[in-house]
Amino acid sequence: MRTYETIFIVNPQIAGDDYTAVLEKFKGVLTDQKAELLKVDEWGTKRLAYPVKKHEQGTYVLIIFNAENDVVKEFERRMRLDDSIIKFQTLLLEGGFEAPAPVEAAPAEETSEEASETEE
Amino acid sequence: MAFAKKSSPRRFGRRKGCRFCADNTLKIDYKEVRTLRYFISERGKIVPRRISGNCAIHQRKVTEAIKRARNIALLSFTSNRTVD
Repeated sequence: MRTYETIFIVNPQIAGDDYTAVLEKFKGVLTDQKAELLKVDEWGTKRLAYPVKKHEQGTYVLIIFNAENDVVKEFERRMRLDDSIIKFQTLLLEGGFEAPAPVEAAPAEETSEEASETEE
Repeated sequence: MAFAKKSSPRRFGRRKGCRFCADNTLKIDYKEVRTLRYFISERGKIVPRRISGNCAIHQRKVTEAIKRARNIALLSFTSNRTVD
């Protein structure tokens, strides 16, 4: 079981319940293949640095999960098929992933989890 | 005849030490756009090591992170439009 980190951008026009439908669908794809979701982080709609498929904005979603390597192939194939996902990127987390310690006081700057990546 | 390094205006970082070795414990991550922003020029190009003052290891990590951020549209390839 290796730790992967996927970030993908959802079409900005898709919002509300069909956005959550897309999200649930992809989480389902992972859990069906016995992947273990460690963290799902939605950044919400942000302005893209450059237009992607004619969209100036996009909704970012970050998923960190433990899985076998062929799970990732299937996951990416699904994302390519689905046109609501305009861009995605998967990384192997060499150092694994420790959930950041639950900080009582709200940290001034969100402590990002330790992730030293290599080629995906 | 070895030319002296052209004294380009030191826009970024101190020439002294690597920002990551010494002082802060901030991780180099393609999601940390604020940190990466120190290492790209106004045109959005990666600042060379002799200007950013990074050590080789961290410069490679920064470069890799910047390229990943560009791939996922967190950083732009050309102009340095602020991504808010």
